[in-house]
Amino acid sequence: MLLIQLIINGIQVGALYGLTAVGFSLIFGATKIFHFAHGASFAISAYVFYYLYAVLLVWWPIAILAACIVVVLFGVALDRYVYGPIQSTDGSFFTIFVGSFGVAVVIQNLIGTVFGRGFISVPSVLSRSVELLPGLYVAPTAGIAVVTAVVCFVALQLFLGRTNIGIALRALSESPALVRTFGLNPKAVSTCAFALGSLLVVPAAVLTSMTSGLNAAIGGRVMLISVAATIVGGVGSLRGAACAGLLLGVAENLALWRFDPQWSEAVTFLILFAFIVLRPSGFFGRVVTS
Amino acid sequence: MWPLRKVAVLAFSMLVALAGRASAEDLRIGAIFPLSGANADYGDLYMGATELAVSHLNDTKALGGKLSIAYEDSQALPQQGVIAMNKLVNVEKVSYVLSAFTGVSKAISTTATRSRTVAVNGGGVGPDLAELGEYFWNVIPLADFEVRAMAPYLVQKRGLKRFVLVYVDDPLGQSIKRELESSLPSLGATLAEALSVPSNAQQFSGVAARVRDAKPDVVYIASFGAQQSQIIKQLRDNGVTQQLASYSGFAIPAIASLPEAKGALFTTQRIDWNSDDPVTRRFTREYQARTRRAPTAYAANYYNAVLLYGALASALQKAGLPITGENLLTKRREIGAFDLVGGRVTFEKDGTIRSAMQINEVAGEPAVLETVVAH
Repeated sequence: MLLIQLIINGIQVGALYGLTAVGFSLIFGATKIFHFAHGASFAISAYVFYYLYAVLLVWWPIAILAACIVVVLFGVALDRYVYGPIQSTDGSFFTIFVGSFGVAVVIQNLIGTVFGRGFISVPSVLSRSVELLPGLYVAPTAGIAVVTAVVCFVALQLFLGRTNIGIALRALSESPALVRTFGLNPKAVSTCAFALGSLLVVPAAVLTSMTSGLNAAIGGRVMLISVAATIVGGVGSLRGAACAGLLLGVAENLALWRFDPQWSEAVTFLILFAFIVLRPSGFFGRVVTS
Repeated sequence: MWPLRKVAVLAFSMLVALAGRASAEDLRIGAIFPLSGANADYGDLYMGATELAVSHLNDTKALGGKLSIAYEDSQALPQQGVIAMNKLVNVEKVSYVLSAFTGVSKAISTTATRSRTVAVNGGGVGPDLAELGEYFWNVIPLADFEVRAMAPYLVQKRGLKRFVLVYVDDPLGQSIKRELESSLPSLGATLAEALSVPSNAQQFSGVAARVRDAKPDVVYIASFGAQQSQIIKQLRDNGVTQQLASYSGFAIPAIASLPEAKGALFTTQRIDWNSDDPVTRRFTREYQARTRRAPTAYAANYYNAVLLYGALASALQKAGLPITGENLLTKRREIGAFDLVGGRVTFEKDGTIRSAMQINEVAGEPAVLETVVAH
């Protein structure tokens, strides 16, 4: 029963990892910007939801909507006012990374100053597990996480495949020049990628605020998982990032079956290392030849 | 005109000299606390107490000049702690440093010994802290005392014999594991499972599954800061209903206000907050008024650490001796006993105070369940 329990836990955690990783992968794949502040987007949306829902007692759909609006504005503002100016002057990968890293640090400290640096969580009956079978406990949040991840991923695929802006996003990841040829503005499409990628962290952030709880430094862990899943899934592949997020979550939990919890985080890096050595293009990434 | 200018220069020189003399009499000590990061809650708690102690010492004018504290942020990380200690010793030139957290305290102890600077710990409880040399003092009973108080209580008074330990993999967690391994068999109890977690781990649903699988009577948690709250919440959310127990790390407001922590047991040194002793009474009353929080053992420890410095520095000034680490150590040995919050305390040979312990219950009525005399 322990094994089944760990698999279920892993699927729940993996679904949340997948959602976060897909957002990062979408932004990175389309714009080639290493958006380190993606973790900060996660933290912002989680704390906005916490403050509205748990402190001000706002109705939960309104709290989620507000979190969505704030995080989209944050992503768009970063693209316009931080990455845009850097790209128009220096534009190197490293400069953008440092800029993004700086923003993440500032946001972490701001959150710590406003909300405190301690642990907070959103009290909810949805995070309380019930015993389905003897020794098998599942919380409603597990089902919500999986369903939300599937719905978001399918919706994203439809959006990217069937709408003009979605197709433009895919084109941007291939060639910004091609986007321009078709009369589109790559900057506007890039802004769209940031809005959409940032929006995708909201479900994971809301569920995490209920299940694991929050602290001001939570963004760092989110970034770690997002980067690992993006590489394991194949850079630019949203399907790959989703599958890799799921794989990392399940592997992290399955490691507990035989090993000490001390080693479960190492499993993430072991998988990452294995992919870098044995399959550098990831799950679904394309092999690039020079 | 010339004599007037000479008089002005002379007057200015005298003013500068006097000002210099006044600042030379002011006293400064250092403090290395986690002021940012996941454990900053502790830093806030400690600072509330140290600032209160400084204001009390300055109000009484017991010292020649004004006392102040140079704070440095360790983030509860040993590496940051060493940087902070070097700055306090070499730049601020302090002779007395307040320290917190087992890992940080161990890391700064070598600099303390080498530079003959007194380092005083009021928050870390790893038993190794008693072995860090004569310049490292502990105004808090260490984890071995805490486990030796809690384990017999759980086994003999509560009939809980099967323990599972969830511990952070650092010197504190490892020392608590060692103490449980050595003390439980003699009590007729067992440590069924010891699960180590990295200090930055945040997901504990899988750990909860392992804990349930071990079928414990009691789960002992040896972590700190935001992580211990996450552990408690996720254990409770994931079907762990057994008694939770811990060490004095639970004596913080974040745990007191966490609904899932209700009923958890933890040890601290014995302090009667309603005591008639004037030091305890003043601390309790003014700490609550100043911070709007109930006093905790941690706050009392850091208040005591500053008060201890005041007593030693005052004694050295009266004897006409400079306030150096060496003289502070000599004076502490000479005086022997000190009136601090919680009553009169003495130091063991290893520089650690000896104290009775108490078993507390989170949100319990009464909050203190049992007093355990010092062995």
